[in-house]
Amino acid sequence: MFPLSIGVDVGGTFTDLAMTDRLGRSWVAKVPSDNTDPSRGVVAAVEALARDLSIPVSRLLGGTERFVHGSTVATNTVLEHTWARVGLVTTRGFRDFLEIRRGIREDQWDHRAPWPPVMSPRHLRRTIGGRIGPEGEETEALDEGSVAAAVEALVEEGAESVALCLLHSYACDDHERRVAAVLREKWPGHLTSVSSELVPILGEYERGSTTVANAGLVPRVGSYLERLARELGEMGLRSEVLVLQSNGGTVPIVAASGRPVELVLSGPAAVVGALGRHRSRMGGNLVSLEVGGTSCDVTVMAGGEVPVTDSLVVGGHHLAVPAVDVHTVGAGGGTVATVDSTGMLQVGPRGAGAVPGPAAYGRGGSEATVTDAQLVLGRLRDGARVGGSVVLDAGAAREAIRRTVAEPLSMGVEEAAAGILRLVGQAMIHAVEAITVQRGRDPSEFVLVAAGGAGALHGSEVARALGMRRWMVPGEAGVFCAMGMLHTDLRRDFSHPLMADLDDVGSRGLATELEFLHTRGLDTVSSEWDRTLADVDLEAAPWLELRYPGQLWSVRVFLDPVAGVRAPLPPAVRWLREEFERRYRRLYGHIQPDGRLLVTAVGLTFLGRLESRPEVQPDPAETGAEPDHRRPVWMGPAHGSPVVDVYRGADLCPGQHLEGPAVIEMATTTVLVGGDELVTVGGGGDLVVERSRSDEAGVSR
Amino acid sequence: MTAGVDPVAVALMQARLDHLCRHMGWVMTRTARSPIFSQSHDFSCFATDPEGTLVSTADGIPIHTGGGGFAVRAILRDFGHELASGDVYLLNDPYTAGGNHLPDWVVARPVFHRGGLVGFCCNRAHQSDIGGGAAGTYNPEATEIYHEGIRLPPLKLVQAGEMRRDLWNLLMVNTRTPELLDGDLRAMLGSTEIGAARMEELAATEGPDRCRELFTAICEHADRRFRAELAELPDGVWRAEEFWTDDCIGPHESRLVLTLTIEGERITVDFTGTSPQVRGFKNSSWVNTWSAVSMALAAFLPPDLPRNEGTFRAVEMIAPEGTILNARPPAAMTMNTVIPAHEIIHLVWRCLSRADPDRALAGWGKNLFGVTSGEWQGRPFVLYHWNAAAGGGATTDRDGFNQIGHLIALGGLNLPNVEFTEATYPVRFRRQEFRTDGGGAGEFRGGTGIEYQADVLVPAQWSFRGEGLGPPSGHGEAGGEAGAGGEMFLEPLDPDGRPTGEVIEAPRYGIRHLGPVRVTARSPGGGGVGDPARRDPRLTMADERNGIVTPGTAGSDH
Repeated sequence: MFPLSIGVDVGGTFTDLAMTDRLGRSWVAKVPSDNTDPSRGVVAAVEALARDLSIPVSRLLGGTERFVHGSTVATNTVLEHTWARVGLVTTRGFRDFLEIRRGIREDQWDHRAPWPPVMSPRHLRRTIGGRIGPEGEETEALDEGSVAAAVEALVEEGAESVALCLLHSYACDDHERRVAAVLREKWPGHLTSVSSELVPILGEYERGSTTVANAGLVPRVGSYLERLARELGEMGLRSEVLVLQSNGGTVPIVAASGRPVELVLSGPAAVVGALGRHRSRMGGNLVSLEVGGTSCDVTVMAGGEVPVTDSLVVGGHHLAVPAVDVHTVGAGGGTVATVDSTGMLQVGPRGAGAVPGPAAYGRGGSEATVTDAQLVLGRLRDGARVGGSVVLDAGAAREAIRRTVAEPLSMGVEEAAAGILRLVGQAMIHAVEAITVQRGRDPSEFVLVAAGGAGALHGSEVARALGMRRWMVPGEAGVFCAMGMLHTDLRRDFSHPLMADLDDVGSRGLATELEFLHTRGLDTVSSEWDRTLADVDLEAAPWLELRYPGQLWSVRVFLDPVAGVRAPLPPAVRWLREEFERRYRRLYGHIQPDGRLLVTAVGLTFLGRLESRPEVQPDPAETGAEPDHRRPVWMGPAHGSPVVDVYRGADLCPGQHLEGPAVIEMATTTVLVGGDELVTVGGGGDLVVERSRSDEAGVSR
Repeated sequence: MTAGVDPVAVALMQARLDHLCRHMGWVMTRTARSPIFSQSHDFSCFATDPEGTLVSTADGIPIHTGGGGFAVRAILRDFGHELASGDVYLLNDPYTAGGNHLPDWVVARPVFHRGGLVGFCCNRAHQSDIGGGAAGTYNPEATEIYHEGIRLPPLKLVQAGEMRRDLWNLLMVNTRTPELLDGDLRAMLGSTEIGAARMEELAATEGPDRCRELFTAICEHADRRFRAELAELPDGVWRAEEFWTDDCIGPHESRLVLTLTIEGERITVDFTGTSPQVRGFKNSSWVNTWSAVSMALAAFLPPDLPRNEGTFRAVEMIAPEGTILNARPPAAMTMNTVIPAHEIIHLVWRCLSRADPDRALAGWGKNLFGVTSGEWQGRPFVLYHWNAAAGGGATTDRDGFNQIGHLIALGGLNLPNVEFTEATYPVRFRRQEFRTDGGGAGEFRGGTGIEYQADVLVPAQWSFRGEGLGPPSGHGEAGGEAGAGGEMFLEPLDPDGRPTGEVIEAPRYGIRHLGPVRVTARSPGGGGVGDPARRDPRLTMADERNGIVTPGTAGSDH
């Protein structure tokens, strides 16, 4: 059995744990999260698993060689405004860029809504003299006296940590380095965040906002992570705890503590590992549709790669950290359906939350939710147990829909429930279209991976609407992200901004830039990953960002990765141009033939690739799948509610096939199979669904 | 709901139409050539029924709200008898074609299913140059529409799927930037093509008659929602005025007057009393005035209010011909989507704020920055001084935004980073910080406005559009005070980059040719809402500590 790998995903409602052993066998545990101290949920999940396996916790953790942790602690600190008292030191004349926020409003029509509070209020923002120009040239000497004064003022104001962001420091960090030395004397350890070290990009607002957020998170998140590592160590864990970053890769906890801003998407980013696991069997073009209690997260893997962007917005704060491109819409099981004052049915984006949750949970919820509609229409089973202690009550669901939707619309309860499902399904279809079509991809070329507690109820409908012939349900759908963590590589991104003509820089210039980044990156990962390096294959993947002059957005071009510790070599300029044009055309539909090209950034991603574990291969099944029972289930407006076969996931064996229409009740999710679909049971309980017959049959919108 | 119409089907259709418009927007953003589209989103995609009634405006900038139907109805008027599948129409003229102002061109594509007209998919977008007396569509010295660019009545740009080459060439020789216009027009055509394909699919799945029924039901729902909102407001008559002291050409006094009447489920917006049209380019067309009124109403009401043509059915607008707000040809009017749109929104908000002080909205500062253009490193450049933008007005829930984009976009226009602008243009910024005591005092105070200073390093043409210069322009509401007024002056620089001592006052409108100069501006603050004495003392203390107001004055200095 040993050694073990454990992944723990702390979400808002549940803490999920997934574990695999040397043979590729897996176990899961799910316990309620403790939002006052998330580490308690981690400990509880480990204890729950040890109990299930009847072995002592110390033995379980002692035999664990890889422990990966994803957590919403950074996210919640941002969303709940519980960050530290952060000071900002910046250039004279520009005290307020952080609070001006470039005037960006997420929804301009909602103009009565205030901006979220600024992370570093004005009295904690101090300016100093000295100026660097856009070419990195010093145009005004650093005013040392003003630095001393700024530090004194921030000490007096009681700043817990400090961010430093001077104009054009991405082009020349000389002033920042000198000021940082002074700040670090007063705020030792990780408590000073320096923009040119953390996120050397052009754009003072995004660079400064990211640096301030990091400084605001360090005292909160850093201490949490260190405490968790200590507790797990005391419980018997000998290996290093790895933390999942927003970029979809992990990093040892010691390295994460000083850069907590890179953890704000820590949980959802596990989708990279989760999709990577299915890549060998399902191909590299996957779209995950992860539907939980409150939201639907959609992520694309194209050609085996999940796109990582540098622009994340969390709670209205702009963070320029590498983050997996996840598109989220308010369409989950707990999403509430309402009828407005003039008779229009609306589903979402508001949710009923973990408490009270859907009316069917019997915890005081009285509003109709998507889960209530699923239950009323037979897609979920009356009396089924979900998330441990909750038993679904169809009577309560029916009553909520009758009172809040059916009666105001003068329609039957089933009809109202069907309306709720059609609207929420359409929102999911539009979400998948947004992240594929909007980014130049054709959804019909992808396989849909329906995950989360509720994704598999919508997979058939979404796949059909977008012309996807195949979709699948991972066996671990309900702990998708925790399982993904077990398949996540170490990752660290390094980049360096430029603003130069591609032809002027040339291959030789790029080689110098890459060498510089490689030396810096290799130094960093060698020290940060030293305890883990022996277990992984090191790889350095270079990229460049290019754009036409005058544009604000760049297109990233990836170069061939290099294994081991060699520095990558740049390709010919001509190849770069062609590759840029190919990608640009796909995104924007046209190019500027022979247009001037600017290199705006050079980057290097270091990956520590994990050795892949064997997957349990299914033996051909000897018997066919047998349904557990039959019940009426609503199969879409064109089909009504025929009586269909209902299977129990636990009864299915790898290699078996079954035909729709059907419902499959798995441990952590329920699958709805359309009338024209064929299901194949794979290893690890994965289900692959293929549409066989014409589009006339099956689930329709 | 209309009897017999399935409410679920109506909600589904609304979501599909909104998605269709957003899809057109993605195509536009991805394929247009000018940064004005990919970065500033200065365009709107919309869908109408066969009569030109707007059914969705989900992708769009606020000042375009409610105006799209006029363009389609102008096409129906001129070509209604010969509309055919594969045709695409183009127009811009505010006097003859349902346009708002000349730079905004509308591409409209009729959608057919089995020979029957289902509706129109359209895109209204601001072009980078359309000829006229000044590059870049804004000519502050224009006194006739002929000085502002090419006028397009409804034109059949594409016939039966074939581009009309002669017409295309005519357009291309009437712009200073044909390569941009060519790319942007093609992007507009492409976006409406995608929209049309989706609308045809809706007609095929739902059936054209049912589509029609659902379109009608969508507008009727919006109408009911709006009337329900009106019912929440008291009946009454309110009056508000704004004043101008110049007409872009020289000193000239004019008034903009609104009498707003709410009577049950009707609202009348009557601009009678507004001064005659002016010489300069800040006259408004009927369509632009209507759009600004629609936007102002929608922005006062909850953000989930539907925004289609049904929404504004209960609104009657009166704007006498020959006045600033419904000018007769050949009045110049390119400025209208900013000025007087800003004043129109202020007038509507002033009246509604008095009708319902619990939702009062104060005025936003009017912008004072202009545009600098010239040549640098062998290439032409056009630099907008966005970083000098004004402060916004307070609401009953929050203070005004200290610096924000135009009111007409409800702030939806993003300000560039100083670093980006310095790396791209011959300019060095010296300051962009909140003004002290700039925001109008109130229970919620106005946005502060900005202390702005920048050196433009090369000789350049300065085009001024400074409506916000001078007296306060962000009025207070419900006992709140007005924000501080705007100031701007220029100082020529010597070869070492130091001011020579000469000071040039910035004109409100006009064109100047200047050598390297330092520009210093204080952008106007927004107005406050509510009695300053009622302000939460903790907020006042925070403002004092943050240097936003001078201690002990509550910011009531100006």
